[in-house]
Amino acid sequence: MEKNSQILAIDAGGTMTDTFIIDDQGEFVVGKAQSTPYDESIGLINSAKDALSYWDTSVETEFPKLLAGVYSGTAMLNRLVQRRGRRVGLIVNKGMEDFHRMGRAIQAYLGYSYSDRLHINTHRYDPPLVPGELTRGVTERVDLFGNVVIPLYEHEVEPAVRELLEMDVQAIVISLLHSYRYPAHERKVRDIAREMIKKSGKDIPVFASVDYYPVRKESHRTNTTIIEAYAADPSRETLKKINQRISEKGASFDLRVMASHGGTISIEANELARTLVSGPIGGVVGAKYLGELLGIPNIACSDIGGTSFDIALITQGDLSINPSPDMARLVLSLPLVAMDTVGAGAGSYVRVDPNYKSITLGPDSAGYRVGVCYPEGGVDTVTVSDCHVVLGLINPDNFLGGEVKLYPERAYKAVKEQIADPLGLSVEDAAYGVIDLLESQLRNYLESMILGKGYSPSQYVCFSYGGGGPLHTAGYTKGLGFDKVMVPAWAAGFSAFGCAAADFEYRYDKTLDINVDDGAADEIKLAAGKELLAAWEELKEKVGNEFVKNHFAMDDVDFRLYFRMQYQGQLNDLEIEAPIKDFQGVKDWDALIEAFEEVYTRVYAKAARSPELGYSITGAIVRGLVDVVKPKIPKEALSGEEPPKEAYLGKRKVYWKGEWTEVDIWEMEKLKAGNRIRAFSIIESPATTYVVPPGFETVLDEHRIFHLIEVD
Amino acid sequence: MPIQIDKKKGFERKPIGWDGKTLKQMRQETDEISRLTGYYCGLDRLPFKESDPIRFEKIFSKLRGGVVHARETAKRVAASPIVEQEGELCFTLYTPEADSVVTSTGIIIHVGTMGAAIKYMIQNDYEENPGIEDGDIFCNNDCHIGNVHPCDVHTIVPVFWEGELIGWVGGVTHVIDTGATAPGSMTVGPVTRYDDGYQVACRKIGTNDTLHKDWLIESQRSVRTKKYWLLDERTRIAGCHMIRDLVLDIVREEGVDTYKHFIREVIEDGRRGFMNQVKTLLIPGRYRQVSFVDVPYKNLDVPPFARINTMMHAPTEMIIHKDGKFEIDFEGVNRWGWHSYNATPVSITSGIWVMMSQTLIPNDRVNDGAYYASKFDLPYGSWLNPDDVQTAHSYAWHFLVSAWSPLWRALSRQYFARGYLEEVNAGNANTSNWLQGGGYNQFNESHAVNSFESAAEGVGASAVKDGIDHAAAIWNPEGDMGDMEIWELAEPLLYLGRSIKPNTAGYGKYRGGSGYETLRMVYGAKDWTMFFMGNGYISSDCGLMGGYPAAAGYRFEAHGTNLKERIAKQLPIPTGGDTDPDHPQYEQLFEAREIIRDKQAITTETIFENYDLYLNYLRGGPGFGDPLERKPKAIEDDLNGGYLLPRYAEKVYGAVFHQDKKGHYTVDEEATERRRQEIRKERLKRGTPTKKWMEEERKKILEKEASIQVRHMYAGSFALSEKFTNEFKEFWNLPESWNLPEDELEIPVFGAKINRNS
Repeated sequence: MEKNSQILAIDAGGTMTDTFIIDDQGEFVVGKAQSTPYDESIGLINSAKDALSYWDTSVETEFPKLLAGVYSGTAMLNRLVQRRGRRVGLIVNKGMEDFHRMGRAIQAYLGYSYSDRLHINTHRYDPPLVPGELTRGVTERVDLFGNVVIPLYEHEVEPAVRELLEMDVQAIVISLLHSYRYPAHERKVRDIAREMIKKSGKDIPVFASVDYYPVRKESHRTNTTIIEAYAADPSRETLKKINQRISEKGASFDLRVMASHGGTISIEANELARTLVSGPIGGVVGAKYLGELLGIPNIACSDIGGTSFDIALITQGDLSINPSPDMARLVLSLPLVAMDTVGAGAGSYVRVDPNYKSITLGPDSAGYRVGVCYPEGGVDTVTVSDCHVVLGLINPDNFLGGEVKLYPERAYKAVKEQIADPLGLSVEDAAYGVIDLLESQLRNYLESMILGKGYSPSQYVCFSYGGGGPLHTAGYTKGLGFDKVMVPAWAAGFSAFGCAAADFEYRYDKTLDINVDDGAADEIKLAAGKELLAAWEELKEKVGNEFVKNHFAMDDVDFRLYFRMQYQGQLNDLEIEAPIKDFQGVKDWDALIEAFEEVYTRVYAKAARSPELGYSITGAIVRGLVDVVKPKIPKEALSGEEPPKEAYLGKRKVYWKGEWTEVDIWEMEKLKAGNRIRAFSIIESPATTYVVPPGFETVLDEHRIFHLIEVD
Repeated sequence: MPIQIDKKKGFERKPIGWDGKTLKQMRQETDEISRLTGYYCGLDRLPFKESDPIRFEKIFSKLRGGVVHARETAKRVAASPIVEQEGELCFTLYTPEADSVVTSTGIIIHVGTMGAAIKYMIQNDYEENPGIEDGDIFCNNDCHIGNVHPCDVHTIVPVFWEGELIGWVGGVTHVIDTGATAPGSMTVGPVTRYDDGYQVACRKIGTNDTLHKDWLIESQRSVRTKKYWLLDERTRIAGCHMIRDLVLDIVREEGVDTYKHFIREVIEDGRRGFMNQVKTLLIPGRYRQVSFVDVPYKNLDVPPFARINTMMHAPTEMIIHKDGKFEIDFEGVNRWGWHSYNATPVSITSGIWVMMSQTLIPNDRVNDGAYYASKFDLPYGSWLNPDDVQTAHSYAWHFLVSAWSPLWRALSRQYFARGYLEEVNAGNANTSNWLQGGGYNQFNESHAVNSFESAAEGVGASAVKDGIDHAAAIWNPEGDMGDMEIWELAEPLLYLGRSIKPNTAGYGKYRGGSGYETLRMVYGAKDWTMFFMGNGYISSDCGLMGGYPAAAGYRFEAHGTNLKERIAKQLPIPTGGDTDPDHPQYEQLFEAREIIRDKQAITTETIFENYDLYLNYLRGGPGFGDPLERKPKAIEDDLNGGYLLPRYAEKVYGAVFHQDKKGHYTVDEEATERRRQEIRKERLKRGTPTKKWMEEERKKILEKEASIQVRHMYAGSFALSEKFTNEFKEFWNLPESWNLPEDELEIPVFGAKINRNS
């Protein structure tokens, strides 16, 4: 059967490579194949073959029709985490040769649970990306204003570079303090190094931090630039090979890569370290796109997987961005889609503290090993999934489409011994209590995240996806008063759908220090505006140049301008889309201030406003987007409210609020658009289980998205 | 319902406590029934938790999550890197009678201090005058009422439900300046409370959620850093109000009676949990240990009666009872002094929870329950319980951090005995140096600085691995040294180095975590002063089971340098670490009018000009076990990593090694083993039988052969404690007539009141 394949999305994990191919009607197939780390393109093609086999068609037939392809993968992250990157030499300020290997102490407990963050004996450092012996210093100092206090001692550069070359480094990174304010020194060192490398007949890349991440905080900037040299740049070769292989199969598009800011970038992009991230971002990007199509500007994304609960907010159609996040236990200066993660997923361990007799959920998890109910997993601590099994919420014979058989009696015994007996509860009440507590914690978390942004849940639509999400959607949204709660029936492919739907977008940031006192004279405001404008122009050019690599003209690019502002002296700024496109006069300055004050008041309450301190612009940001093909979403004709008989799978007993109840079981794939399912129901698919408990009902809309409705 | 009459104002005020009681009545009842029954509020059972553990947990997690979230959100309002970057803020929820229910992360020492402030208001009938009403805002930073030192400023708001007080929320931040005699939050120089800066004694500063104008004007005129002060205050208020909303939300959901019952049970639950934890991890018995720290004031610019060199003394006995009760007896501590290192009882007792939460109870259940399961004996008139309201406290931590280090050893001996080797920790670092000062900064604003690079000191070794390097502080396990580019925003001090400092970690089979150092060049400042604050002559920790203590401190500063000229000529200048202070390298690279290198690691304000140098050295942690048992490979790594100077690898570790042309060290394992055998023999030869050694020491004691500092310290302990004196005399077999009174020392004895010898 021939299809009109349009977009290919690739998720190359450490063990499996998934491909997602969507046609012009919004129909899609998902393929799987074993990853082939030595040549990722082999696994990719195998996976695509598998996907297309569901449509009885082939790579050779479909690839030439593809209009776009997006890659996301974990190879770069693995290279980083396993410390298998290039041998990188580092040049820093003389006297500061230890700072990178010392790390920041925060890196000794990043990603730890609350308890372990306090528990000092658990803290540890990972090995530095660049060891001390491959680090050299050159004398120079620039102050925070960009004034040269100590000129670059150029005569020290040559010996430093020479020694690194003698030690066979494969790349050189340069990072000097406050270089984001005064780039000349780093660039001078860079040029000398390049000259020497050329003379020595070697071919070694040189990375000056200011050419990549010209933002304040040297640990973040240096780590990120090192990753560029250490793990990202080597990955470029892999991506080129994949691009070549798919064009050999007839594809004619330029492969794009999913990046941390939620857009996709070219494999030729200057800053490839941005593609380090993958995974949960896909779902958020998918939610954003879905929101655009359905006209929903404010979305609370929630995703429960095996190990964690991830939430992200989309406000007025924009993702929130964390400009200095951490990944792989390193502080970084990449813009990353801000996501809050709680270590509580379906596989999370459940324990009763023997001394405090309190229930703890996670943060560690059995992950793919499910729980005690799955003997092959070898787990002996109760997990959330074990509680699901005890309560009858998941079908032990149809877990992951029947691929994994679960044993309820094992779960029952474990919950009894580990949870119920110590708390003096029945097994069912204990299991129900665990789920109740989990959902209550997730609900609090979701609520506080939205309130913390200065909004209320009633202004948001909550999207719930991920394998474990729909099981708990009712529980963690109950009573919060969301505008709507939506569960896409195509949850399985949602993350890949998100990758396919991502914009082709670059985002560049630059640190600024523009201070304007309260009631400053007009000429000061004008000068400040000009400086901001100049930064925007510089970044626009940088963004534009990236698109040129893919043959777009400046005019094709839709530029969006942002600024970061705070009250003078504060250390936290807010990122705000500029209400102006150009800076012409004092009224434009006032517009910037007004936009800032509005956001500030919303986030921190009116009492915290401090205009008397004056304002600081701390950064300029430019996002540039060009049009690319986006997937269609499914659309079906509406049937009646009554679900078809063939969707009905019978009844199952579920323990709910103190008693066993008969529950209707439905097959998700067989439900029709327009069907209304009343409580108490469980809707099953191979990838997920969707619970509609008492007090709720659900309706499937024409896009195959369930709407969960609270009825009392 | 009893109605109180405010006689002066002539109007009636209804009591705001529960069931028509006053807060004072509630406080008395809670104390009495808890004391009589041994259970908090007499709760011999936990009916709520036992019958509905899930609902109990749900309320707890909502409260706790909300309090943590409020802290995370509020801290972004602050401007001070101390608050924002180092997280020196904390929020706590209290019962109406001021017992803590739940606390956020951060400087949780203030769980107790803010509670003490609320208790003070209750004791002093604030309910009548000035009145406690919904929307009120109170402020306290008075040490004698309830604080560690004046720079920790509290904002406290009451929480009402239908006219009844259902609790209090307290928020605290460590402010950057308190208007003390010198700039910086923890000034050296104050010797009385009148030098300690602006102190606010439980004052009502706002009504209807609005700060009073007179308060705003006065407070902001009383400190050097107005901007930081006001943003810190807004941070505290924002957090308190978020938590107040949270509590009211829970009351609406769960009902006020459930809430009232819950807050009582959760404290009793905390008490039981703590005792269970003690039973699981510790061994009943008595554990004794001691620590000291130096107070070298003889040559400091302080009033004449304060100009003495002395020491502080902290002997402790930790008593673990069979039922899980926990007791610490400080009998034998010496007298308070004319310096700013005095402590208040609440700072000692609350601070112990900071430490316990890093090892014995690392969970979110820290509340006053643990306090009710513990007992502390704090001799009146000593440095930790002064009998005079005049005492100064601006850097109480100087000795708090020293006095807690032995408590790690007490716990670790028990962990070791029970086989919890990973939990062993040889002790915390002395969390100094504190780089402080002020003047006009690089923005030409009046400014004070207080570097918190000290939040990342070396950690004590465990019994299975080295202590982690430059990582934490006893007052904040989530330590961080911060980015240099951020500190340069706050300080007109250019970094010329940030380096691992060799030999700062205590040696041992497992060494302590290393300290580090930063070299700063003054630049862009005007009318600028700075000072040093840290241990110099004494190592305030001690190694464990054969491990060595961490290195003590020293100071390096240089004034009137020729760095500007050298830079113009592109000549080498000092950068990086002061790697081997016995063979200083900096001095070979510049000239100066004055270069100071000495052990006077505590100083008062010194003028610094641009291009002057200041070395900020952050200490290491103590070691565990005999250094001769350290693996040769680990010594090799220490040498190559710059953690250890070669001559100490030979001397202390018995390592035999060679260095190749590229400077790489290789330790010869066999030769090292041979050398270690020799050292063991030398040790035996050098050793003296204990009895003989004691006899020699006894002679010295009889003759009072000890430095004046040591004699003054002991005299201060003897003057306060008969028990300690008798034990000392009995241990050393001293004659009945032996005595060491303070007044025979020929140094000023000023302001002493309690004295057994007079």
